[in-house]
Amino acid sequence: MRTADLELAARCRAGDAGAFEELYRQHARRLFSLVVRMIGSVDDAEDLLQEVFLQAHRKLSGFRGDSALGTWLYRLTMNHCLDHLRARQVRMNRATESLDEEGAEEPAAPAPAVPAAVSRLDLERAINMLPDGARAVFLLHDVEGFEHREIAQILGISEGTSKSQVHKARMKLRMILGR
Amino acid sequence: MNCELHDDLLDDYVDGARASDHRSDERFAAFEQHLTGCTRCQALVADLTSIRLAASTLDEHIPPPRLWARIASSIDEQQRQPWWQRQLGGTFSAWVPAAVAASIALLLVAGGWNAWQQRRVETPQQVAAPQPETESIPAEQHYEQAIAGLQQLAQAQNGALDPETRAVLTKNLAVIDRAIDESRAALDQEPASALAQESLLEALETKVALLQETVALASDTGGQPEETAGSARELDQ
Repeated sequence: MRTADLELAARCRAGDAGAFEELYRQHARRLFSLVVRMIGSVDDAEDLLQEVFLQAHRKLSGFRGDSALGTWLYRLTMNHCLDHLRARQVRMNRATESLDEEGAEEPAAPAPAVPAAVSRLDLERAINMLPDGARAVFLLHDVEGFEHREIAQILGISEGTSKSQVHKARMKLRMILGR
Repeated sequence: MNCELHDDLLDDYVDGARASDHRSDERFAAFEQHLTGCTRCQALVADLTSIRLAASTLDEHIPPPRLWARIASSIDEQQRQPWWQRQLGGTFSAWVPAAVAASIALLLVAGGWNAWQQRRVETPQQVAAPQPETESIPAEQHYEQAIAGLQQLAQAQNGALDPETRAVLTKNLAVIDRAIDESRAALDQEPASALAQESLLEALETKVALLQETVALASDTGGQPEETAGSARELDQ
């Protein structure tokens, strides 16, 4: 896996026209889905993912294979998403919260039961209502299937923070979906 | 039994961790035993499992085919740029056009500031030094005058920047200075080359823009270096 990543990165750096397109084809669908869910806009997601791949193209010379190429791309993508959201929050003068912030706890009163089969549309809407940090970790863990160890690498947080944010996100989703 | 005692295992359990996978961890066995008689935890496990299952089967959003075309076209464009512009990357893309337009006005401001500074230090030789006619100054000299004025402003306000931002801006200036040196060397070899002349002017123009950004950042802080923290992006190396 790492060898294949290093070879692909080396081909990109050597100016192999097809190599970077190969990298794009391997990862664009998952990254695009992630970005759409992170920032809530298909149009903005297109612009943002373009920036991500252009930055990746410039920075490939710095890729040393310490993590998988996919993990490296996810890290670039999430940095862009969080920058975008922070800038938007500043513009809207909303309160911000950091990834390590504990934030609101689950409600004291028991939440109504979540339907056994959660509608995808309802879940998409509910995910959009999560705080940015919890949404980032939830998407990476429950939607993309990353381990907490990998999420810690991607977002630059501790594994413990990743776990607590997933818990926080699930409890919030439970509350929203049980309404 | 208190449900909260098991809260740290709840998510692991929903993610598929079972007591049989953690034989040495008695807490899992205790949680599974607790679960058989606790409706609150049973409901939680059921709800969180539903959410997790639904999340893992969400539809993919497909990027439009034009996205790759846009990326490929931008990469081609980048590769046609000189190396130092590629290194600057998107750092200045948003403000360079405006900065370049403003640089004309800044030439006048910087010139005026220079003259004022010279009068302040009262150096007769410098005050008396003949100033070249504006019309006869070649473009390169215009930029150099602007750079000299802006550098003085930037140095005067240097303390207003936080160390990290200052380091990044210094590094960026070193990159652009290298580009200017290389452009000058190319021009020395081929003085008639329009491309070499254009390359030098472009590099000088970028230095003016970078210095303007430095001065603007320092002014924005009002002398509070911490407010510039992380304001400058390091060049892609």
